[in-house]
Amino acid sequence: MNQRSKAGRGGRPVQAGRGKRMILAAVGYLVAFIFVAPYLEMALTALKPDRELTKSPTTFLPKHWDFGNFVNVWKAAPIWSNMQVSLIVAGVSTLVALVVSLPAAYYTARNRFRGRGAFLLLVLVTQMFAPTALVIGVYREMVALNLTDTLLALILVNAAFNLPFCIWILHGYFASIPKELEEAAYLDGAGKVTALTRVTLPLSLPGLVTAVIYTFIGAWNEYVVALTITSSPNRQPLTVAIPGFVTSYQQHWQYLFATSLIAIIPVVILFIFIERYLIGGLTAGGVK
Amino acid sequence: MKRHLIGVIAAGLTVTLGLTGCSKGSSSGGGGDNKTIRFVAAIYDDKTKSLWDSLIKTFEAQNKGYKVNLEMVDWTQMDAKVKTYVQTKQTPDILNYNAFADFARDGLLFPTSDVLSSQVSGDILPSFVEGDKYKGTQYGMPLLSSVRLFFYNKDVFKKAGIAAPPKTWDEVKADAQKIKSSDKGVAPLGLPLGAEESQAEFFMWAMNNGGGYVDPSGNWTIDSPANVDTLNYLKGLTKAGLTQPNPETSDRKDVFNQFAQGKVGMLNGAVFMPAGFINKVNDKLPYGIAPLPTKAGGTPSTLGVQDFLAAFKNDGGKKKDAVSKFLNFFYQTNNVANFQKEEGFLPVTKSAGAVISGAVPYDKPFVDALPNAKFYPTGNAAWGPLANTVKEKVGTGITASDPKSVLTELQQTAQKNG
Amino acid sequence: MHDTVEARGAGVKAPAPPPSALRRFGRALAPLPWIGPAIILIAAVVLWPVVEMARTSLLRISSSGATIGTRGTGNYKDLFDETDLVSVLLRTVVWVVGVVLVTVVVSLALGQLLNARFPGRRIVRWAVVVPWAASVLMTALTWKWMLNNYYGVVNKILQGIGVIDHPVNWLSHPTQALMWMMWVAVFVSLPFTSFVILAGLQTIPQDVYEAARVDGAGQARTYFRITLPLLRPSLLVAAIINVINVFNSFPIIYAMTGGGPGSKTDTSTTFMYKLAFIGSGDVGESAAMAVVNFGLILILVLLYLRAVGWGREA
Repeated sequence: MNQRSKAGRGGRPVQAGRGKRMILAAVGYLVAFIFVAPYLEMALTALKPDRELTKSPTTFLPKHWDFGNFVNVWKAAPIWSNMQVSLIVAGVSTLVALVVSLPAAYYTARNRFRGRGAFLLLVLVTQMFAPTALVIGVYREMVALNLTDTLLALILVNAAFNLPFCIWILHGYFASIPKELEEAAYLDGAGKVTALTRVTLPLSLPGLVTAVIYTFIGAWNEYVVALTITSSPNRQPLTVAIPGFVTSYQQHWQYLFATSLIAIIPVVILFIFIERYLIGGLTAGGVK
Repeated sequence: MKRHLIGVIAAGLTVTLGLTGCSKGSSSGGGGDNKTIRFVAAIYDDKTKSLWDSLIKTFEAQNKGYKVNLEMVDWTQMDAKVKTYVQTKQTPDILNYNAFADFARDGLLFPTSDVLSSQVSGDILPSFVEGDKYKGTQYGMPLLSSVRLFFYNKDVFKKAGIAAPPKTWDEVKADAQKIKSSDKGVAPLGLPLGAEESQAEFFMWAMNNGGGYVDPSGNWTIDSPANVDTLNYLKGLTKAGLTQPNPETSDRKDVFNQFAQGKVGMLNGAVFMPAGFINKVNDKLPYGIAPLPTKAGGTPSTLGVQDFLAAFKNDGGKKKDAVSKFLNFFYQTNNVANFQKEEGFLPVTKSAGAVISGAVPYDKPFVDALPNAKFYPTGNAAWGPLANTVKEKVGTGITASDPKSVLTELQQTAQKNG
Repeated sequence: MHDTVEARGAGVKAPAPPPSALRRFGRALAPLPWIGPAIILIAAVVLWPVVEMARTSLLRISSSGATIGTRGTGNYKDLFDETDLVSVLLRTVVWVVGVVLVTVVVSLALGQLLNARFPGRRIVRWAVVVPWAASVLMTALTWKWMLNNYYGVVNKILQGIGVIDHPVNWLSHPTQALMWMMWVAVFVSLPFTSFVILAGLQTIPQDVYEAARVDGAGQARTYFRITLPLLRPSLLVAAIINVINVFNSFPIIYAMTGGGPGSKTDTSTTFMYKLAFIGSGDVGESAAMAVVNFGLILILVLLYLRAVGWGREA
């Protein structure tokens, strides 16, 4: 039987005593610092002018704070165009993955049909394929379809490779929502689709949100396939454009890091909106 | 309500995809316009891009309607990029690279007779033409050439008590030891065997020990005893601490930079070192130039390198006219001469040679060495793949317990692709 | 009545004669509109490349991508003749096992921390998420910068606290480079794994701990006898996703050392890529390596399925 998810605030008993909590807080902040430190270094380097970058040994803080880097970088390379590509590819891939996985996950959760087991096995097995591992096959396919250097190719690849995870998670969620709730809706005169959207979806919002964030981040950060099948600057996402700042002869690490930081922003914004659903979502999907 | 939402989303998807999804990017689609060509060029130093940019600007002004999309790639990424472009059928219209024969073998290139005017073709220096041919037909166009000679820091030598640059390998070792004891902050011998250009570095030592990549008949001889001996010698130098740290991962540009800063005593340098590396750091650096050291004395050999332009026959050759226009424009005497002079390379055409030589006395030893310089076997279709493998692997020969095995592997690669 | 009566909500079906063949066919097709698009997308964009790679592994492809002819098992022979293959495979095992083990163990601790109540917990949770939000490639490039021989802060700090006395070129030495890259892999895997553990911890009801306390179980006992077993589903999810991601991991090694020098820091994934795009560029051999990689990961997934008892899915 599927284990019900309890998105309650369970866990260990509340720590008694301020002392213990202070220690935990200290540890927590140390951990937080460790996780954020490399990105702080990124930010500080992004604020250094050219000559300070090659100083050896280096300094932590810039001697001359060059905020202009964040402005100049937009002129130094077509970052805006790369950003657009990343946004479109990640956004549309996520949409496509959702639109395709929702009905599949729902139907599989609710119905027994011939081939159901095979379908679920297919989903599980394809999850182990990563775009990187298949890059040769992918590019040969895109050459055959004459889709090299197009956004459509990137969208299809990202949608398809994240599809199994979405189906897996949504399936788990749908399966754990009692059928009775939907049947109650039928009694009230709702159609199958309405029951799905009015009753089931809201309850499985955490799973939905998890699928969205996982796919978006996956597509946003995809590197190898984008690198291989695109050649025009206006079809390349940020992941491909950013390493180009550091060539052998022009080591513009400050631009590289400035752009990397700019690239994190959309993901962070997405995160802020959905953070509280994320934890609930990670529970139900994996538990069979 | 929700149904409408789904409908709106679906419509939005379709519109987005329809507008941008299937259309190819600016560089490969080019709007189906046969007057726009894509040129992938290599970065030789900081100036390269601006030189190409201004050339292209002039070209576009003089040839209304024609457009050149420039993509600069640096050498450490060039191999992977070229391979990727070729295998994904996204080849540029003109490529600046160090090989061409395997593309010619697979029928991907225009023969130069198709794209160069007879005047330009006749202007190319004869020393280069042989290396531009694949099976008798010329496909490659020399972009620039460089000759390598031995560079040394006169001040470091004086401090170490060395009177003259070393002529033999034993002298190299002895001089390196003198430098090591006289100055701890200086790496005696610069030895860049990292992936940027180790095929050149290795060749320069190997050719002065009676070795090299091919024998006079053109057969591959990479794992010859002479070459094994060369690797062992370099391994010995490294182990004795007579080189900069970790030669097997040191790229040429880093070692050249260190030399420019006075932190390397001697190394195999190139004609373009002052223009590309030394002058911007310290144009008063007291360097001297000498022939490459040989194993046991005897006539030193020199490495000559030519990098090429190759014209790809994309899409049935629709862009031949635009490609041809740009190439002929580039090879006009003043254009090509200026490019080569600015970058510090040697001229590849007779007319450019007439303009440049005499103007730069520094060039004389290099120009003199050119007729006897040894080149890579670029006419062999296996050279492209082999060069890449050598770059990756030959450096490991100085840390391997058995350097011969590295060379044997390279020999097998050469034979496999021949 | 011949037809089956399906009363909405009533759930009462009148006994009906066996459906006609056409009806059965129709019913078999019923799932199609729902799962059809998923199958098409997977088949077209995931399975086609898989088949293509298997096919390519049997072909002879020139260095410019032209198909020359078939080679049968020639590519596989070339692959197994590669001197570096054995060390690459061994290193891959070390890479996957090391990274996943450390990630899971540390995540267990992190999960506990993120679950505990203390002021500022929310901030710590957000901080932990940052490496997941930032792309792996950028994180790898940042660490590469920090480990730089001449300009890196790592050397500066280590020299400052006296661990080393002159700058070390970390990424030039294969063993040290591998350790640093494994740390980076752990670093980027911790966010997702910690949150999976955290989610698992939150499903454990308070009463369980109450009961344990009443029974007089100490903290360690409670953790090992109660918490961990209840976390088993989350652990298995985290483990399998990590194994797959770490095995397929590419940007970290490629950006930090390029797998070099030679192939001394390659794993099977970077090795496969380099066979195609770097060096002599033998796409056929690279495809053979990819097929071998599939085999490896298929074995791993099958082991996982057995551990989870997938066949007993209700």
